[in-house]
Amino acid sequence: MRKDRLLPIFALLILLIGSVSSIYVYATQATTNTLLVNGQHYTIDQLFSLTQPRTFNESQYSGIALDDLMLKTGVSHPEQHAYTLKGADGYEKTVTWENMKNGLLTKESESVFSDLPKAFRVKDIVIIEVK
Amino acid sequence: MKNMKFIVGIIVFGSLWGFAECIIGSFLRDVNLPAGAIMTGIFAIGLMTLSRTTFRQPGMQAGIGLVAGALRLFNPFGGCFICSAIAIMAEGLLFDLIWTGFSLGLKKPQTLTIQASLGICSAYIVYVGGYIVTQILTPVFSSAGFYLENLIVFIPQILASGLLAALIGVVTVPAVFILKNLDISIKDRVYYPVTIGVSAICWIIVITNTILIMWS
Repeated sequence: MRKDRLLPIFALLILLIGSVSSIYVYATQATTNTLLVNGQHYTIDQLFSLTQPRTFNESQYSGIALDDLMLKTGVSHPEQHAYTLKGADGYEKTVTWENMKNGLLTKESESVFSDLPKAFRVKDIVIIEVK
Repeated sequence: MKNMKFIVGIIVFGSLWGFAECIIGSFLRDVNLPAGAIMTGIFAIGLMTLSRTTFRQPGMQAGIGLVAGALRLFNPFGGCFICSAIAIMAEGLLFDLIWTGFSLGLKKPQTLTIQASLGICSAYIVYVGGYIVTQILTPVFSSAGFYLENLIVFIPQILASGLLAALIGVVTVPAVFILKNLDISIKDRVYYPVTIGVSAICWIIVITNTILIMWS
């Protein structure tokens, strides 16, 4: 069979993969009002009340300090761990303690790091896992 | 002379793509539209299909991606610009590999089914491939490092987001073939002034836009 004859079959297969993935993503999307930080549930207001504020770029980004958040939620020997920030849409990024020292969590539950590319801005964070 | 025409072709197509990414892509992101899929489905696939069907030279689209990605680096606004630049370069390379892999005989007319299928396959693979490459390379070049599990859990979302690009590609590729049938061509006499002029305008607008945003 000529290669270009296979193209319509590949195209249908691709549409099928895209459609099934879309259904899966829609069905598994998490909706929650709390954040699971180091194994415990908190509301964003609770986290803001117990953690030091932090701002970047002349207050363009403001929120709470991620390193202080981990200390306040009971992480010991923080430099020995990695931290995975997971969004409601499944997007996740793992960062080091050094990165956490340059990171903040906004009121909209989004991470911002002054030392990392924008790809590390996880939106609508639902879990911060300590590894 | 033919080589010169080919190189200038890479520069003009790459500049147009990079310009579109920087100016139109940034606008789409600002109004919360799925800029990545729209830019890939329309501009990336459109310009690369046009260049491929015009010059019929493997390797050209990888070069176009490099030029467009380089121009994106001059516009550090609107989302993750390093990720965008990496994705653009990867998209050019992937397009080249797909079209070379299928070794399509572009000298004879393609049926509408083949054109539409080519649009779906090219747009989807280019978009998803570019997305995956940038998800790997951006952390690799950062201080956080790359974690495979971060990518694996996000694969369904990446595969799902490519669907829009594929649906746009269904229209874009046949539209380019229709455009080609109109047999519009630039006369040799004005080829270099026009292509170099267009490329220069793209770069000047993007760099000026960057300077203006930084000053304001």
